[in-house]
Amino acid sequence: MSGFLSIEALVAGYDKADVLTGVSLSAEAGRITCLLGANGAGKTTLVRAILGLTPPRGGSIRLDGRELSGLPTHKIVAAGIACIPEGRRLFPKLTVEENLRLGCYLVPGEALLRRRLEEVYDLFPRLRERRTQLAGTMSGGEQAMVSIGRGLMGQPKILLIDEPSLGLSPLFVKENFNIIRRINEGGTTVLLVEQNVHQTLAIAHYGYVMAQGRVVAAGTPAELTGNDEVRQAYFG
Amino acid sequence: MDVGLLSQYLANGVMLGLMYALVAVGFTLFFGVLDVIKFSHGDVAMVGAFAGFATYGGLQAAGVHNPVIQMLGVVLVSVAAMAILGALIARYLIVPLRGAPALNTLLITLMLGTALRESVRLFFPDGANPKPFPRLLPAGSLEFGQFTLRADSAILLAAGIAVIAAVHLLINRTKLGLAIRAVAQDEETARSMGINFSLIVLVTFALGSGVGAFAGVMNGLYYNEINFGMGLLLGVSGFAAAIVGGLGNIYGAILGGFLFAGLQTIGAVAMPFASAYKDVFAFGAVILIMAIRPTGLIPEKNSERV
Ligand SMILES: Nc1ncnc2c1ncn2[C@@H]1O[C@H](COP(=O)(O)OP(=O)(O)OP(=O)(O)O)[C@@H](O)[C@H]1O
Ligand SMILES: [Mg+2]
Repeated sequence: MSGFLSIEALVAGYDKADVLTGVSLSAEAGRITCLLGANGAGKTTLVRAILGLTPPRGGSIRLDGRELSGLPTHKIVAAGIACIPEGRRLFPKLTVEENLRLGCYLVPGEALLRRRLEEVYDLFPRLRERRTQLAGTMSGGEQAMVSIGRGLMGQPKILLIDEPSLGLSPLFVKENFNIIRRINEGGTTVLLVEQNVHQTLAIAHYGYVMAQGRVVAAGTPAELTGNDEVRQAYFG
Repeated sequence: MDVGLLSQYLANGVMLGLMYALVAVGFTLFFGVLDVIKFSHGDVAMVGAFAGFATYGGLQAAGVHNPVIQMLGVVLVSVAAMAILGALIARYLIVPLRGAPALNTLLITLMLGTALRESVRLFFPDGANPKPFPRLLPAGSLEFGQFTLRADSAILLAAGIAVIAAVHLLINRTKLGLAIRAVAQDEETARSMGINFSLIVLVTFALGSGVGAFAGVMNGLYYNEINFGMGLLLGVSGFAAAIVGGLGNIYGAILGGFLFAGLQTIGAVAMPFASAYKDVFAFGAVILIMAIRPTGLIPEKNSERV
């Protein structure tokens, strides 16, 4: 199985300040690895560094042994990484279907693209009805579906998901976690950034906790629930 | 006024509208992908016209006298050369300035425009004087009662409309166009879809500049004369058209092109005694439109473009 992501001593930041000061973690192939941490801990920065949007200043990022750090974003994506970014980041003036097509940008061939579109439409029938609507005019929940669907279109080896349940109703949050579990059961490695600690630990195989730009705890969900630092930070 | 004269004004207005729209599309594309205003665009169109003129001379010297082949050669060389020039300008002048304030790009491209103009004036053989652009299109005219349309004008109109339609299809119906629109709306997210951002920027500048070169050649064929300063008015008019249209999308650019040409034509009809006043009238009207609708006729919302 492929999709093993390993990060070592990663340093990254904006302007002069380093946000990540030596982060090491790995996402096992075929598993859901979660990343917890308070606001501003550097989770999104880590996702951006993996994608090359915030180019790392040090350390290494390997996917199945291949070094990715330093490559331009489009090559990193071509290596098999896709992202469901924080805040959805849809293209508001493009239609739902155009948004989904962009998720499949690197996959050549209209036939394959159509098949994947159908798969996403089967997962979210609502999107099939709304395929010609501009993404910016969709409701928040519908936009979440487009963003998830777009991340799936490329059938990546590993999917980086950054706070997918932000701004969703509790019912849809639950559905969201089910979908992530199903994506993973299909063989895709998942690195999940989340604030819903209980539901996240319920589906994750392994987890990391970040604080102030470094990893402060790691373990199985059971270990993390028992960890004092995590309890203090999250469970009050 | 009689129908014949009116039809002349109409044909002339549509022709100008097409040229402005072709130039304005470039401004809109550049602004879309990189948020820059590239002031040298009109001068690139001028260099395109001179490249076409030089190609004609070369073909003559090589003994190629078939006007169809000459016409195709002129258009192809001009468009291809300016596409390359546009990509080079983007690669070496505009992309490196991305981190700098937008005013710097504006200033640099303003100076580049001057450099292009002066280079043609100084280095093109006898470049300081206007050049007679060859009449490569068939003579003769089509008559519809009092309405006459010159055959060369008809061909130019058809070709201009075809180019606009092709650009429209390229932007809205192809994968490349989808990538250009994605980059224009959200560069970072476009990159995380696997789009090669730098490549799309170069392709977009090549496309806009090639279309601008087409407008330059069209201008030469229509007036049968080119000169080193022609890009200035063409560029400013195209820029005005793009701004009036909202600098947001290519529909705005097309609408703005025709609107600006319409204003000039109205100015010319209303003040036949002094043709120079038509520009004063048109630019005055643009100032008025901008005062009433500061964001242009089709305003862009947030960062949604092209
Ligand atoms: N574009 C940016 N420029 C400068 N600083 C930034 C930028 N983005 C984030 N930061 C800073 O980096 C730090 C980490 O931010 P990051 O977005 O990675 O946190 P996070 O863990 O994702 O938080 P949240 O849970 O709120 O999403 C914060 O202090 C933030 O202010
Ligand atoms: Mg975040």
